[in-house]
Amino acid sequence: MSECIVITSGKGGVGKTTTSANLGVSLARMGHKVAVVDADIGLRNLDVILGLENRIVYDLVHVIEGECRLKQALIRDKKLDTLHLLPAAQTRDKSSVTPEQMKNLIEQLKEEFDYVLVDCPAGIEQGFRNSIAGADKALIVTTPEVSAIRDADRIIGLVEAAELPEPRLVINRFRQKMVDRGDMLDKDDILEILAIPLVGIIPDHEDVIISANRGQPVAYNEESVVGEAYRRVARRLTGEPEVPYVAMEPSGFWDSVKRWMGLSAATGGV
Amino acid sequence: MVSFVSKLFGNKGSKDDAKARLKLLLVHDAVDLTPAQLEAMKAEVVEVIARYVEINKEAVDFKLERADGEVALVSNVPVRRVTARAV
Repeated sequence: MSECIVITSGKGGVGKTTTSANLGVSLARMGHKVAVVDADIGLRNLDVILGLENRIVYDLVHVIEGECRLKQALIRDKKLDTLHLLPAAQTRDKSSVTPEQMKNLIEQLKEEFDYVLVDCPAGIEQGFRNSIAGADKALIVTTPEVSAIRDADRIIGLVEAAELPEPRLVINRFRQKMVDRGDMLDKDDILEILAIPLVGIIPDHEDVIISANRGQPVAYNEESVVGEAYRRVARRLTGEPEVPYVAMEPSGFWDSVKRWMGLSAATGGV
Repeated sequence: MVSFVSKLFGNKGSKDDAKARLKLLLVHDAVDLTPAQLEAMKAEVVEVIARYVEINKEAVDFKLERADGEVALVSNVPVRRVTARAV
């Protein structure tokens, strides 16, 4: 029973590609056969996050136009032989592919892989329509900001209109300290507004940037709290919904005192 | 300590602003009515209700709200006298 999950957000820059790469790594580490598909034709980046940019020969558009076989375009991960990338074309645009073609491609991938993750481009136009065409489920990525949540709400509506059942939410770039002092929306605030099930809270952490610099997704890093947060999202997506969220950065002494005195909006751990 | 001091003086964090703005924003994204249209709808509804019961028009609360992803029109109309007047 293979499954295609589209990772989408509406707004750009909230962490779709990072989430796609890290979920791919996490699922592959669990022993699943995983293909991650970069659907951002013209602005590909998933290859860079995975550190595979030097290995691209063929891309998604080549496969769709019949210039190569699917197997030729799939790039195996450096460390995990269960993880493969199907890169986007860089010199074409979104109109090079139709939703129908995308659907056929995903069907082919599902014959080979347990999980097919589609990294959706920002926006609600053709790139988005192509990305959801073959998907069975949707993962919505947002950050605790007004603009990102507004766009997430719009995308949730579009995903539901496309009859993708029950989109699930990942909250990215979460900062416990800001939440503690009442300067960031907490998970419950976001869930109250978006009203979809939560499958992950990813702390805002410099490890993500360091991993991106090196082209090694943070989910490989056993020591990293962000890596662990992504690994737990993968577990929640694969039948362990009760896995707890990672402990966020420990609050400082004064935060604890203030919380004890009831002066802070903090509600304790996440 | 900065936040302790600001709390003493009753300053709240920016989160509440974010939440309030978001709620309003999402309602208006979903309903696509201009504030003027909303005001016109309110005036008409109030007028209809006033034909049947005596109400305090000044205190009528009439707004679009969101809960659990659904938009609802929520209104509170204080009634002065329940006896129906002639239409």
